[in-house]
Amino acid sequence: MNALQIIIAGSLVAISCGLLGCFLILRKMAMVGDAISHAVLPGIVIAFMLTGSRDSVTMLLGAGVIGVLTTFLIEFFHTKGKLQTDASIGVTFTWLFAIGVILISVFAGKVDLDQECVLYGEIAYVPLDLWITDTGTIMGPRVIYISASVLVILLLFIGFGYKELFLTTFDPAYASAIGISTITWHYLLMGAVSLTTVASFEAVGAILVVALLIAPPATAYLLVDDFKKMLILTSVLGVIVSVCGYYLAAWLDGSIAGAMAAVSGFFFGVAFIYNRLMVKKSSKVKPSKTAI
Amino acid sequence: MIEQAKDPVLEIHDLTVSYDRKPVLWDVDLTLPAGQLIGIVGPNGAGKSTLIKSIMGLTPNSSGYVKLFDKNLKDVRGKISYVPQKESVDWDFPASVLDVVLMGRYGKLGLFKRPRKADKDVAMDALRKVGMEAYINRQISQLSGGQQQRVFLARALAQQADLYFMDEPFAGVDAATEKAIITLLREMSARGNTVVVVHHDLQSVTQYFDWVIMLNMRLIASGPTEKVFNTELLQETYGGKLTLLSDVGELIRRERFPSREQKRKKELKQKK
Ligand SMILES: Nc1ncnc2c1ncn2[C@@H]1O[C@H](COP(=O)(O)OP(=O)(O)OP(=O)(O)O)[C@@H](O)[C@H]1O
Ligand SMILES: [Mg+2]
Repeated sequence: MNALQIIIAGSLVAISCGLLGCFLILRKMAMVGDAISHAVLPGIVIAFMLTGSRDSVTMLLGAGVIGVLTTFLIEFFHTKGKLQTDASIGVTFTWLFAIGVILISVFAGKVDLDQECVLYGEIAYVPLDLWITDTGTIMGPRVIYISASVLVILLLFIGFGYKELFLTTFDPAYASAIGISTITWHYLLMGAVSLTTVASFEAVGAILVVALLIAPPATAYLLVDDFKKMLILTSVLGVIVSVCGYYLAAWLDGSIAGAMAAVSGFFFGVAFIYNRLMVKKSSKVKPSKTAI
Repeated sequence: MIEQAKDPVLEIHDLTVSYDRKPVLWDVDLTLPAGQLIGIVGPNGAGKSTLIKSIMGLTPNSSGYVKLFDKNLKDVRGKISYVPQKESVDWDFPASVLDVVLMGRYGKLGLFKRPRKADKDVAMDALRKVGMEAYINRQISQLSGGQQQRVFLARALAQQADLYFMDEPFAGVDAATEKAIITLLREMSARGNTVVVVHHDLQSVTQYFDWVIMLNMRLIASGPTEKVFNTELLQETYGGKLTLLSDVGELIRRERFPSREQKRKKELKQKK
């Protein structure tokens, strides 16, 4: 039962992160998830100082707001400052993270808080954190409900906005020329990334989220030529990673998140080697794709 | 020498465009006639792409105004199509030829709607016109440069617009394909569409275009090809950079254009 709950939670998060990751790597913004995981620290501290509350909703709100702000700043430095996207991401999150560190050190006496307590969620605890209604009914693990809601929101978002997201990712200038607002879709996507990463950090931990945002989409990118197939393969990989990761951890008696992240890295390695071999075999027909 | 068109499809008034407060286009003021094949020429960095981009509303810092079909851009977007310079996208993107051409239908579809059978038919038709119907399911990274260019062209055709702006559609295209494309563009203009093309090969300008815009940060000339495409204005557009200039002069003469003296007189008359 516990195994199933952990695997379900892991799969839900993996699918959500993977779907967004597909867009992020093609927009050359793969590290945005990593940036958000660090940048939200001041948001959590400020949320705590303002409300004095440490319940997870307050923390998530604080983190979510800063998450969106992070993506704004990244875009701002990129467009206004003519900075490369990766440099812009690097500058933004290190700076925000530093502010968080300073806030914690200055208010060290009053704030019993660090990033870990909220953001480094642990997937192994999923079955323990139950949602119990006011009437006392036990509904099951809270994380599963949260992750499932996030996934439903994402599926609706991508389902309805598919062609706009696809076009603004591939050719933003043309999109603007035919009247599709690149900026709007950029921020909708970044909002979705913020929501998903922040909710998922709490559920399964930051390292796993960053791994799931990048490794399965990068693996799928190497294996298929079609964007829809890339989204589907990424989702399937997410589930496989989650199952294999859980049993690897059980067998090693080690960290579940670590094992899942390792499995996703392993799949990427296999796909990479396969891709190289295919390129060698038919060196002319299929030009090599450079991984991110 | 700037000639104004009657019943213009495009009217640009005092357009100045800057990047980082540095103007790259100064005071462009022109009108373009309907139903013609129009060339934009000028050296690298002259602002040709910038001119097209600012017409399409893609450059943030510009002053002056642009009217298309006597309206603002946002009211007539559906009638206008744009072919960006090929280098502007990542051709390793996981998309098929058909995916890209279908993008030409997105503007007409509106929010949330998916392309239907009818849109696919239009896309297929556009692909046939550029001779790419055999490649519909090919991933775009597996195309040659010239084929990629044709896919971009097909995407613009699929928009079924009235006015087309094409940024270097002949870059990296072989001679046979260039001929096929120019025939296609001629047919379009014969049907009343206006096609504006950024072009680098001065040798073929008189052959291809009814109307020419000569640009080098400022607008040097805009008018019917036989009136404006002459050595003086080319000299002014390209400065000393153009070694081909004498050849072009030769070409113009061979095409039995009015001699320079006559042209001078004409211009003088117009100035009066
Ligand atoms: N995004 C940009 N930021 C800053 N400067 C730019 C930008 N795009 C173009 N420029 C500058 O504006 C000028 C005009 O560029 P543009 O691309 O319009 O030239 P072009 O005539 O299309 O040249 P080419 O024949 O090489 O395509 C150039 O000096 C260029 O350096
Ligand atoms: Mg250009």
